[in-house]
Amino acid sequence: MMRRTVRWWTRAGRVGSLIWVAPALLFMLAFAIYPVGYSLYISLFDYHLIDPTREQVFVGLANYVRAFGDQVFLVAIRNTLLFVVMAIGTQMLLGLGIAVLLNRELRGIGIIRSLLLVPLTLTPLVVALVWGALYNADFGAVSYYLKLLGLDIGRGPVGEPRTALASLVVIDIWQWTPLVALMLLAGLQAQNQELFEAARLDGANGVQQFLHIALPLLRPILIVALLIRTMDVFKLFDSVYAITGGGPGSATEVMNFYIFKTGLTFFDMGYAASMSTLLLVLISFFTAIYIRVIGRTEAYG
Amino acid sequence: MNRHRAARLARQLAIYLLIALVLAFFLMPIVWLFQTSLKPSRDAFAIPPMWWFSPTWANFERMFATTRVVEYLRNSLIIASGTTALSVALGLLAGYGLARHPSRTSDGLALAMLAVRMAPPVAMLIPFYLMMRDLGLLGSYPAVILLQSVLNTAFVTWLMRGYFLTLPKDMEESALIDGCNRFQAFLYVALPMAGPGVATGAIFAFTLSWNDFLLPLILSGRRTRPLTLGILEAFSSVEIAWSAIAAMSVVTVLPVVLIGLLLQRYLIRGLTLGAIRG
Repeated sequence: MMRRTVRWWTRAGRVGSLIWVAPALLFMLAFAIYPVGYSLYISLFDYHLIDPTREQVFVGLANYVRAFGDQVFLVAIRNTLLFVVMAIGTQMLLGLGIAVLLNRELRGIGIIRSLLLVPLTLTPLVVALVWGALYNADFGAVSYYLKLLGLDIGRGPVGEPRTALASLVVIDIWQWTPLVALMLLAGLQAQNQELFEAARLDGANGVQQFLHIALPLLRPILIVALLIRTMDVFKLFDSVYAITGGGPGSATEVMNFYIFKTGLTFFDMGYAASMSTLLLVLISFFTAIYIRVIGRTEAYG
Repeated sequence: MNRHRAARLARQLAIYLLIALVLAFFLMPIVWLFQTSLKPSRDAFAIPPMWWFSPTWANFERMFATTRVVEYLRNSLIIASGTTALSVALGLLAGYGLARHPSRTSDGLALAMLAVRMAPPVAMLIPFYLMMRDLGLLGSYPAVILLQSVLNTAFVTWLMRGYFLTLPKDMEESALIDGCNRFQAFLYVALPMAGPGVATGAIFAFTLSWNDFLLPLILSGRRTRPLTLGILEAFSSVEIAWSAIAAMSVVTVLPVVLIGLLLQRYLIRGLTLGAIRG
């Protein structure tokens, strides 16, 4: 009996993994896949939670049509994409720069690395409140020092429509650049030093060594860093909620916050659900690209 | 020769200067927060900013007197522990299965898990809220724990899969030949070697849950609010000064900062999602 069990497990490799994954999979079916289906369903209704007497009326795709005519939602999409591009671009470049800066024989490198670890463990809500206070136009330290430098931003960095979104990007850069830097530093330090030795003997200078050896070797980790950061920047919510509430005007209105506001402040559930679908579609688009790239990278090595 | 040495010295100096600049930028807000929590509250927003002052515990005393910080702390601990236990248990099994039974199905499942990890919680917020309302769980610990665990399980699975792929499977195979079944081989052979992987998964699950505020915001109730919501509540109340909020923020971030610093070996391994073996 025991023998046969062993054989069955080992032979049926495909079934084998399913049994181990089953608990997690069922859990996700119930609390991730089902909710998405539920959300799709709700998105076809005019569903107002605040008014119990109001019927849920089937409206077909009307909520989706409404979304594409909703100026605020279109601004939210634009701001979200703008935020993603600005935040990720800066984090990757700055992170790579810091990793290269720290990738050498340095005294106290352990302490420096530990200090860089602190921002990314901090509670994002606390980070948002701290930066909100620092940005305050009247008594914030950042505003004060900017004024000393001759940069007087009237109602403060987050109070002016021109600078508000970029100011929130700075917070994201502050918290997550160290993550990118530490990942890339770990990657650089895992590289085989003999390759660089050989290149030096062949007369390659530092820049050439970096461009032709270090950077290509770093590719898989660069991609993972890019992937992780993109996933998380799309989740942007805390700083908008805690600092700007989407304002001034709709300068920092982003998809997550607008969906939250529509669904859970105004309880316009059907409309919020339809915008959630559109957000998922947008993210699936990025996911598909990345998953293809990751699949290819894994095939390489 | 001397010129050469001078140039090297200048280079060295420039590098340290750059590093100091980088550290100043990344540490300034943290220093500000800890300082504000220890500053007399009239100095908190002095212009120009005061970087030197005589520290006091008054803000922490005021925090204990005017907020329900102990209750929030307890709630944060309950929620984060529950989420950690559930997501590590599920993710450990799933990650093991995916690593030890390589097949097309397994690869597909692993990528599906990654997709769940990518989905922003806001996109699932509306159904989450309605489901928990229908289950009668709104305002309870399980509502928050269950849904945080969904997002974390995907991540822990991916992490554990990467970890088990680095462990040789000879020992489990000999255990199978000796008559163990697959589950026994997992329990008695693989699990004892999985300590560092489990630690990494647990640190991440705990930190992500501890730092979360979106799910508690819509799902927790008056009696189950974690620290993040407590801070927000204090923030929107007129009576509670920024200095007390700074004290509460310090109480909130201190546990996760300490975990991160003390267990940074595991943290860095997790950061790379197993991209770097080691």
